[in-house]
Amino acid sequence: MITDNKILITGLGVISAAGNNLSETLVSLRQGKRTAGPVRLFETQLQYPVFEVSALPDKYYLEGQRTLSLALVAVDEALRDAQLQGDLSARRIGVCLGTTVASQLNDLEFYRSYRDRGTAPMKPVERYLKGNLAGFISRKLKAGGPSLTVVNACSSGTDAVGIALSWLNNGLCDIAIAGGADELNRVPLCGFGSLGIMSRDLCAPFDRDRKGLNLGEGAGVLVVETEQSAAKRGITSDLHLAGYGSASDSYHLTAPHPEGRGLEASINKALAYSGIGPQEIAFVNAHGTATPDNDAVEGRVLARVFGAGLKMLSTKGYTGHTLGAAGGIEAVFTAAALREGWIPASIGFTQRDNNIPIAPVRERTNINGRFALSTSLAFGGNNAALVLGRRLIS
Amino acid sequence: MNIHGMGIVCACGTGVDSFEKALKQGWQKPEEIQVPHLKNIKTPAYLVNLNEVSERHLFKKMRRADKFSKMAALAASEALVTGGLEGINKNNIGVIVATGLGTHDTTFNFLDGILDYGEAGVSPTVFSNSVHNAAASYISSVLGIQGQTLTVTQFYFSFHYALQLARSWLDEERCDHVLVGAVEQYGNVFGYICDTKLKTAADGKIRPFNFHPAYQVPGEGAAFFLVSRKDTGNIYGTFHDIAFGGHKNYTVPVDLNIIDTDGMLSDESVYMKDITSDVPVAAYSPIFGSMMTGSAFNCAAGVLMLKNQTCYANPVKDNPRGINLLDDAKYYNIEFIQCTRYNCNGENAFIYLRKYKEVDP
Repeated sequence: MITDNKILITGLGVISAAGNNLSETLVSLRQGKRTAGPVRLFETQLQYPVFEVSALPDKYYLEGQRTLSLALVAVDEALRDAQLQGDLSARRIGVCLGTTVASQLNDLEFYRSYRDRGTAPMKPVERYLKGNLAGFISRKLKAGGPSLTVVNACSSGTDAVGIALSWLNNGLCDIAIAGGADELNRVPLCGFGSLGIMSRDLCAPFDRDRKGLNLGEGAGVLVVETEQSAAKRGITSDLHLAGYGSASDSYHLTAPHPEGRGLEASINKALAYSGIGPQEIAFVNAHGTATPDNDAVEGRVLARVFGAGLKMLSTKGYTGHTLGAAGGIEAVFTAAALREGWIPASIGFTQRDNNIPIAPVRERTNINGRFALSTSLAFGGNNAALVLGRRLIS
Repeated sequence: MNIHGMGIVCACGTGVDSFEKALKQGWQKPEEIQVPHLKNIKTPAYLVNLNEVSERHLFKKMRRADKFSKMAALAASEALVTGGLEGINKNNIGVIVATGLGTHDTTFNFLDGILDYGEAGVSPTVFSNSVHNAAASYISSVLGIQGQTLTVTQFYFSFHYALQLARSWLDEERCDHVLVGAVEQYGNVFGYICDTKLKTAADGKIRPFNFHPAYQVPGEGAAFFLVSRKDTGNIYGTFHDIAFGGHKNYTVPVDLNIIDTDGMLSDESVYMKDITSDVPVAAYSPIFGSMMTGSAFNCAAGVLMLKNQTCYANPVKDNPRGINLLDDAKYYNIEFIQCTRYNCNGENAFIYLRKYKEVDP
């Protein structure tokens, strides 16, 4: 479906191991800087490199609610960028955020206490019940529009942005805060470790010798709004959210469909929604986790849809896999790259894999075009794609 | 949105027929389960017995799935089947799973693994099933659905926002149909939390019209609906609208107000704001138990009333405030039902159900 409404991207906010805001992040991407190291946030026996946010700004610190703290950093930056500050209660603002960790009551000490003694302090429960990402932020901002937390595993952030697009196109709100947030947490660290898909080296998306993913943490948030809303506020933007598509592999809980059935469908849906063809995509910010299966399937699909000459990259080499945040963070990167006119080197990639008919860029690369695509493949077989656009403002 | 199919799994059994039978039967005493750590102390809970499920073929591809996913898949499957839509294009069916608390029981099983076997000794199967969207994944793979698949959580309003999104997807023509529903699972830790933070009805009887103090009895189950904008196939009724933060004005008067009181708020007096003397009130939580997404089950009861033009008596009629309760002996021409939900922040959401007419406004 082609929509006549332009949904503008008027604000961007991001925090990850690559930087505490967008300008710091762009420096890291430009310089090809990686800041992974051992886990410092909690004691663990698992020796995997991770991408932690090194210094969460004090004013955002909430005890036991790191995901929410990360989300607040990105939301604040995105709102400032969108010139949305002060009392927002009169505006119809939707909040749609993806996460994995913040949706679970997974406090190990709470559970240990219950298990050992049959009693446990309620503080972690209170934090959990008050910490629903979208609900908390919506209430904090007195947002007045719909609020929804998406828990769709690794595509949560992308799906959240896509839902915001639906809300805006259906008139449920005028402005939406959308993206994702996730903290580095023991449960996914142990879980992904048990699945044998984490690398003990720095991740190398799409590389022949890739050994798996590195976990990361962060948040990425976009402020998206109808053109009419922006005009009413006296602002405009060169960036817009053109389309979103999503489809299920209908195949397996943990493995992608070998031919990338759902991913291809989601990309085609996103392109169709945007009213553009594959040739109009200037670059793709791929999911590119650096697991053998993900990258092989994704690479084949991208080559099939866009041709082997496509400019593409994975930014997981800068941030690690931030799970529910990944789609939000990567949508912010994609928007920023469209505006900047360059994409960073797909860091970690050195050797081409002959089983993948496409290779990411090895160095910072200029891009020329109006549209870009960001993809997410989720545990559980859901796939999602966003098309972001840039236009010249006269 | 037209409701083509429904699927229900709850303590009263599997299937819409079992649910309808339970609505006709009225209140039944829930199961009593042993409280861990407390010798000879039992607590009531409305639990689903999956051993009694006849549709075992569904579980063939779900051997490693947890109860949460199995309940969701069973209810979604029934909703698809009862939709009676021949030749439905499964590439164009979307799935939205709404849950208040998600797979918490499996998450705690995973934490057991860390505590018992160390961080490197945990089970990948348990981890996979502890991910919130596992149920949606099983639904899509078991039913062969290749449309978009989503899991959302917004505690008490999870089902409401899921329904709102289903409508958006249909209006944008992202899907022809959406399987949208809610699922919750009981677990001992959840039972402990509810018992600590809320009041449990020692006799197992939720009294929805007591309001304060409110007593809960934990429940579990899944309720799914197959919805579309199409006028073909079986149609139970319609989800006419979903509203947040206040009522909307409709041209049609509300015939029945189904309230989601179930003891999940310690003080449910706030519901009194939406109770008027001229609209009869009903609540069916004593049939299926207390759940954050109990709204889906109350909606299912409402949809059956619209379809069958029958009133199901309130299963528990204790009425200390003398409100106008639904009188099942009286004939109502039921066309428009309001389902009312409050959360612990005093915010409200409403789902409006309407009898199907060939042209629904």
